[in-house]
Amino acid sequence: MLSRDYLRLTLGTLRSGRMRSVLTITGIAIGIAAVMMLTTLGEGLRIYVLENFSQFGSRIVAVTPGKAQTGGMGGILAGTRPLSLADAQSLRTLPYAIHVVPIVQGAGAIERGRRVRHTDILGTGPDAAAAWQFNVVLGRYLPAGGGYSQPYAVLGHKVRNELFGTDNPLGRFIRVGGERYRVIGVMAEKGQMLGFDLDDIVYIPVDRALSLFNRAGLMEVDVTYQPATTAQAMADRIRSRLIARHGGEDFTLITQDAMLAGLDRILGILTLTIGGLGGISLLVGAIGILTILVTTVRERRGEIGLLRALGASSRQVLLLFLCEAVLLALAGGVAGLLLSALFLGLLALAIPALPIQISPLFLLLALGLSALVGLLAGVLPARQAARLDPVQALQSE
Amino acid sequence: MSGAAMIRLEQLCKTYRLGDEEVHALDRFDLGIDAGDYLSVMGPSGSGKSTLLNMLGLLDTPDSGRYWLEEQEMSALGEEQRAALRNRRIGFVFQAYHLIDRLSTRENIELPLVLNGTPPSERRPLVDALLERLGLEHHARHLPHQLSGGQRQRVAIARAVIRRPALLLADEPTGNLDSHSSGEVIALLEELNAEGITLLVVTHDPAVGGRARRRLWMQDGALIREQAGSAAPAASGERDARR
Amino acid sequence: MRVDDLIRFNLNLLLRQWFRTLMILLATAVGVTSVLLLTGLGEGARRFVLDEFALLGQDTLIMLPGRKETTGGLPPLTGEGTRDITLDDVAALARLRSLQMVAPLILGNAQVHVSGRNREILTLGTNARFFQLRELNMQQGRPLPEAPLEQAGSVCVIGPEVRETLFGSNRALGEWIRVGDRRFRVIGIVEDRGESLGMDVGNQVILPVASAQQIFNTQGMFRVLLKVRPGSSMEHAREQVLELMQQRHGGERDVTLITQDALLGAFNDILQLLTLAVGAIAAISLVVAGILIMNITLISVSQRTAEIGLLKALGASAAQVRLLFLSEALMLSALGALIGIAAGYALLWIGHGIWPRFPVSVPLWALIGALAIALGVATLFAWLPAGRAARLAPAAALKGEVRDA
Repeated sequence: MLSRDYLRLTLGTLRSGRMRSVLTITGIAIGIAAVMMLTTLGEGLRIYVLENFSQFGSRIVAVTPGKAQTGGMGGILAGTRPLSLADAQSLRTLPYAIHVVPIVQGAGAIERGRRVRHTDILGTGPDAAAAWQFNVVLGRYLPAGGGYSQPYAVLGHKVRNELFGTDNPLGRFIRVGGERYRVIGVMAEKGQMLGFDLDDIVYIPVDRALSLFNRAGLMEVDVTYQPATTAQAMADRIRSRLIARHGGEDFTLITQDAMLAGLDRILGILTLTIGGLGGISLLVGAIGILTILVTTVRERRGEIGLLRALGASSRQVLLLFLCEAVLLALAGGVAGLLLSALFLGLLALAIPALPIQISPLFLLLALGLSALVGLLAGVLPARQAARLDPVQALQSE
Repeated sequence: MSGAAMIRLEQLCKTYRLGDEEVHALDRFDLGIDAGDYLSVMGPSGSGKSTLLNMLGLLDTPDSGRYWLEEQEMSALGEEQRAALRNRRIGFVFQAYHLIDRLSTRENIELPLVLNGTPPSERRPLVDALLERLGLEHHARHLPHQLSGGQRQRVAIARAVIRRPALLLADEPTGNLDSHSSGEVIALLEELNAEGITLLVVTHDPAVGGRARRRLWMQDGALIREQAGSAAPAASGERDARR
Repeated sequence: MRVDDLIRFNLNLLLRQWFRTLMILLATAVGVTSVLLLTGLGEGARRFVLDEFALLGQDTLIMLPGRKETTGGLPPLTGEGTRDITLDDVAALARLRSLQMVAPLILGNAQVHVSGRNREILTLGTNARFFQLRELNMQQGRPLPEAPLEQAGSVCVIGPEVRETLFGSNRALGEWIRVGDRRFRVIGIVEDRGESLGMDVGNQVILPVASAQQIFNTQGMFRVLLKVRPGSSMEHAREQVLELMQQRHGGERDVTLITQDALLGAFNDILQLLTLAVGAIAAISLVVAGILIMNITLISVSQRTAEIGLLKALGASAAQVRLLFLSEALMLSALGALIGIAAGYALLWIGHGIWPRFPVSVPLWALIGALAIALGVATLFAWLPAGRAARLAPAAALKGEVRDA
């Protein structure tokens, strides 16, 4: 085998600084490659999740009844003072508010003729499609209603397929939780988000949902706002309005920013942690450099003695060996980057869906890291070399 | 023990490439050695004496020709078998001693036994006997760098003979020693020969070489002169030079 | 060559080259320790999560109103179904033969007042069975009494944190509190199990389910806990429950039954994968350690060329020479691995001392894996250099030259 011959050839030169350097560089390369790939993958994942998450638009504030205790479950539990439709209506009149979406969510049986499908039912207002940036692919979304809404329904992509196949569902009748509804629209395919199938859903007017699920209040109200104001300011406006209406702060406000920021932070920490794991390999690589350099210094005592006899200062010897260490490490860094680029490239080919983003910042950081490693690992042996007594060093040959 | 020759070399050839040139280290070399013989091989550097030694000691293989050792033809043997013979039947003494400098005197001497797998309980008495015979008992624990040249060579000799080999090969054994130590070492080697070990000494020192019963001169890989007869018998006065 | 001689020979060498030895031991130890530590943490996390979820026991089912078609997706979070699970449903379930006991749950945030203090507290409406099902002990007083489900009693049980919040250091047992617009008397303080996942009763107020219905003005149950009778199979119980509900809900199967298995299954897989991945990443460092071993072995061979020649002259076979260098690398690796194992377990033990609740444990596959990789990598990377040494021509080696035999 070619590689074996090559190896034998290089092994043949046992006194080779070359083989030694190649191996040392390989050690660092693996370490850098590990750090690089892990942070790149982690970063890709973070961006993927954030993008997915922010598909609901970024200037949005969510209001849920009750003070937040059990995280996002607030709207699902019974609250003592509900968020009413009137509350939602009132928020519409706030300055800078664009869309207000009241939400009631549940699950139930959707029937068409003999076909039955049990799935999620979302009661919302006419603003939902615009606020969450969903697209209607057939027909239209729910209309603005007066007091008592018409029994219209909009189907998610998957429900349409399951119940109607390729037939046109517009104008047809379905039963939602036993009640008759008329299909007026179908949503575009959205796909999955974090395990949740966004297409397996039926949208009905929110007031009908309230009676269907026998609820007094809404589970959540989403408010989108204009760019001219900040998330904080908008949240304050909503807060004051609702306190005025409720007589107290018995609700929770979550800005998209806060959510994203929280998620961002968690994912960021995760990426760092995983990258840090790769750092273990780098640490071992650094031990490798240290070991080899110390050994090399011992072997080259005669050479060092000679250099000093020829006039090299202690400091120059130090810099010489330090330089060697940094160069070895940098070479390892470059090799590691190439290695990770190759690997990530292969990965991208194999799994196109994988979010891989090679950031130039990371590249620079990786190189910087390898230089640092070289520096730290090289300090000890370099000082050892610099401190050698020239006379003794020459005699040792 | 006379009778069939212990060693027979027949038309041994060995060539080395040195850059563009070919060097005939051994050129159709013939030699016969009886058991118990005491030979010296002399000649200028490059004459092939060391190559001859390496051949005899199975450290190297000839390009062509045959080597019989105790009725066995060597070219038929694989490396493992040659190694086994080196361990059992051949002992080496080198100019540079070649002691392992991290091992003590005792550990250096018992190395052939260790390689062979001899248990420590068996090794101990053998090493003790040699230590005493060669006057090294007080240095049993010392490392080589704590010994003089002469002492180191004695350790090397002890190592060479601990397995009671049939053949003892010495390559410039006194090359690094002063005259006093040289005398000790040669006397020791001759003592061992007197006990039956076939001895071959390669040397450029005529004083040393002259003491052998058979004296060979080499040049350009070939034997150019041979002399036999008692030239310098082991004088009793020199025998007690062990210290 | 005897094994003890071999070991002693190598040990002597390793001690002489103490710096190199130390570094290789360090490199290997770091790798092994990392693998053990990380897999130990990962495994601990897995166990922790499983334990938390397992608080319900292997034989418990959870019923939610509403049902989603897509199996394999998340079960409906909301608990809103088009048809409520009523108290009558719960009573009917309690009569099923395959179930041992049944506990309805209504959960919500309620305003709780006690002499001037006013807090919003998580409030649970349930029955007496709940305490048995969850194997809860009382710190003081007694649990909710056995009573018909429809009875909206005026008693309550509170958790220690609630007690702290509402009463401070004053007596709580026997006192009256106001939840929503009704008054309840505290008849017991439940023991805090300290669970963080799932439902932590420590900061809850527990009322009879009918009372909770009134306060929250809701009819349907949020969840129903069902415990299978010992001797009855889970599958059988599931079927019975689903059939009953279908019957009672007009032919509709509109409830979801979650078994612990399903939940745990998903978590278990994810966490195991995570642990494996994390362990694998750490194991990469062992490969780097192996490269160091190769480098050092090469240097060793080159520095000991004359020695190799000598050993061959003394009768060491090529195989023996190879064995010498291989065993040197193996010894280094094995020692390093042992140190790493000791350090890893020590660190985990310390960690366990600091956080006793976290069950760190190194999975066996990780321990064996790390050891195998360390030794395997050492063998692999030392093989070529050792072979090189074995093939050296003795005569040339003695002179310090490198040439194949």
